[in-house]
Amino acid sequence: MTSMTRKEIETAILDFCRKEFEMEDPGMDDDLREKHDFDSIDAIELLLEIENMLDSELTQEEKKQAMDIRTLRQVCDYVERLAASRT
Amino acid sequence: MERRVVVTACSAITPIGRSREDILRHLTQGISGVKVLREDDVLTSHIHSKVFGTVDYPIEYDFIRKHRKTMGPVAYYACQVAKEALQDSGLDEAFITSGRLGVAFGSTHGSPTVQRSIYKTFFSEDKTGYSSIGAVDYLKSMVHTTAVNITKMFGITGRVISSSTACTTSSQSVGFGYEAVKFGMQDAMLCGGADEYDTTTVAVFDNLLACSTAFNATPHLTPRPFDVKRDGLVVAEGAGAVLLEEYEHARARGAVILGEIIGFSCNNNGGDLILPNIDGITETIRLGLKNAEVSAGEVDLVCAHATGTKMGDVIESQAIHRIYGNRPAVFGPKSYMGHTMGSCGVIETIIVLTLMEEGLLVPTLNLEEVDDRCAMINHVMKLRETPLRIASVQNFAFGGVNTNLIFKKWQGR
Repeated sequence: MTSMTRKEIETAILDFCRKEFEMEDPGMDDDLREKHDFDSIDAIELLLEIENMLDSELTQEEKKQAMDIRTLRQVCDYVERLAASRT
Repeated sequence: MERRVVVTACSAITPIGRSREDILRHLTQGISGVKVLREDDVLTSHIHSKVFGTVDYPIEYDFIRKHRKTMGPVAYYACQVAKEALQDSGLDEAFITSGRLGVAFGSTHGSPTVQRSIYKTFFSEDKTGYSSIGAVDYLKSMVHTTAVNITKMFGITGRVISSSTACTTSSQSVGFGYEAVKFGMQDAMLCGGADEYDTTTVAVFDNLLACSTAFNATPHLTPRPFDVKRDGLVVAEGAGAVLLEEYEHARARGAVILGEIIGFSCNNNGGDLILPNIDGITETIRLGLKNAEVSAGEVDLVCAHATGTKMGDVIESQAIHRIYGNRPAVFGPKSYMGHTMGSCGVIETIIVLTLMEEGLLVPTLNLEEVDDRCAMINHVMKLRETPLRIASVQNFAFGGVNTNLIFKKWQGR
């Protein structure tokens, strides 16, 4: 995971959202809740996927930091930060 | 305030079909829905009973992911029959979401399939998946998963009742839903129950020596309620939903009325949690009639719980005889499909409404030679036409819970 580029992270997150969340044409700056009915359950599933991508469990503190995320761009920023902290 | 309560829609998933026409075809042609127990690589090799009331036809679900994500198999069944009942009812979205419609829906124990996967993770040597036991798994498996997945799918904001009393689950749903409408707490209630394919239930009854084992090679010949050769119950899967509605509301919108529910009772044996109890059963029959304000002599059909166990059928026959004598026709619908557990009460409600509408008595399947100890009541042995004005559906559950629902044929007013 740590060797992934920003572009690869974006591709992985977009693929996951299309496949698992059945999002149609997701945009990086879409409000996930407003446009894609994203809810607390989806947030938990996305965090699990991020753990898989990082091959590392997230701490409670790291999970709390995700609660303010609203867009896929913010998701990718979050993943990038977590990856950097694990190198 | 006491109001009249009518049934204005229904839907079912049963081992003997989906539509009322298909179910009636099985009943009138004597076709069983009991099949060989499917291999599940968990318990089947240990279970002596190799028969199961099976839903073996495809069901096309078109639930979107937003709804699917919190549903285990039992909720799929529940939401499908709920969806069809609501569509069938013709109620508009404004009413459905108004708070005037509630839900009374349950299952025996949520989704055992999902619970099993949680425990697999829990007991796994590999703990990396531990954090995956999360909110979604609980929402899929919890006891009230059927009721709340229905409320979520349709935006229902009225009261929620989620009974989970094994074999009386959905008869309680119908009964408590009836009371909610009768006493003005809701104008309509979507009521029912569901239970998915599950071998743990079979294993429980198998260990209690309550399951049928003598007909493993000929599943259609069991269960055999009241028959001298009966050897136990057959576990089954299924679901059912009925829409109960306040009469004036139904009439005002021109709804098709399938029947009227006029009474309900529920009590407990107050003792042993397993053994059938003649006093408890007799009392719930008596209380149901009292609640409906009808005499025993007015009841034309008793839809018996009749699981096909050795003692249960004897006790039930004696209780029926104590109250009714041998006048009303007695029919055991589980003979056609096995015991659909949490959904049996509502499925039997739908069957009774259909038989009343058609003016038909169908025989208890596999009842060839009545056990002398069950012979004091009026068993239906042959298909025949007859007017049916009032009928009861009685169910009894582990835990000593008994219910009795009383229905009246709809005759236009």
